[in-house]
Amino acid sequence: MAELPELDPVIHAQARLRVTVALAGLRPADQITFPRLQQLLEMTAGNLSTHLRKLEDAEYVEITKAYEHRTPVTLVRLTSKGRAAFESYTKALQRLLDAGT
Amino acid sequence: MNNDAGDPVEDEGEPLSAAESLELIARQNERTRRELRVSPARLFAVWAFTWLVGWGLVYLSDDRSAALLPGWVAGIVVAVLMVGAIFYSAWHGSKPSRGIRGPSRRIGAMYGWSWGISFAAMCLIDIRVTKLLPEGSDLVPLLWSGTSLLLTGTLYLAGGMLWQDMRQYFLGGWIIVCSGASVLVGVPGNFLVLSLAGGGGFAVAALVYVVRPRG
Repeated sequence: MAELPELDPVIHAQARLRVTVALAGLRPADQITFPRLQQLLEMTAGNLSTHLRKLEDAEYVEITKAYEHRTPVTLVRLTSKGRAAFESYTKALQRLLDAGT
Repeated sequence: MNNDAGDPVEDEGEPLSAAESLELIARQNERTRRELRVSPARLFAVWAFTWLVGWGLVYLSDDRSAALLPGWVAGIVVAVLMVGAIFYSAWHGSKPSRGIRGPSRRIGAMYGWSWGISFAAMCLIDIRVTKLLPEGSDLVPLLWSGTSLLLTGTLYLAGGMLWQDMRQYFLGGWIIVCSGASVLVGVPGNFLVLSLAGGGGFAVAALVYVVRPRG
């Protein structure tokens, strides 16, 4: 029997998985503002920040701060590393499911 | 980053099983898709109503068809419906790019402005030509229905290309066919073409997006 795949612990947590899915739904070069992401996920700001930081530490997410009409905006996007990690995560899930666990 | 002090951070929770994870992915995906890729079904339904009712009334107000109501009443109804539908379109079109920065938003904005710019120029040309034509000439409604349908169809062709959406591309092609037909049938038949073929085309498009939301 083939060895069961390990699930990426950075993504395999309910909140961070949802953040990753939402960000993966954007087109590759697009960024999303922090409040819009928060609204998509219905998470508190503090909660979302914490999970984003963990994803950023793993270099799965890139956070940029910019100014628009002198108002600071926080922009978030999934890096190509993050996108690849999410892809292999879903593949691993599928393999686990096929293995009957 | 916004970090409310004392905000309880969602703990890692119970470890999810593979099936639960996949289900969570599907659910969040659906929600994200709904918010970021707004289906044009409702937009096309609004335009179907506008054209079916508005141009239908204009046709029925013509002396050569039924003369059911005065032409100016039909004219006002059409104008009000059109302005309403244009405002709805602008609002609807800007919805998916709210909070998004990057190529998608830029493409959406450029596409939106294409409608404004090209229709402004079309109105300028048509107004100028209208002034050169004898008052009450049948050429005036033919000019307006022909040019506006052609432009509408062409912009949907462009939209189909931009978002790789065959359904929108077909709608554009159909509206262009209507543009030619409206000029060929003459007045007041052109209003019937606008109403039934044009409005009907939008109604079918709306239905297609409901039945086959993923294309």
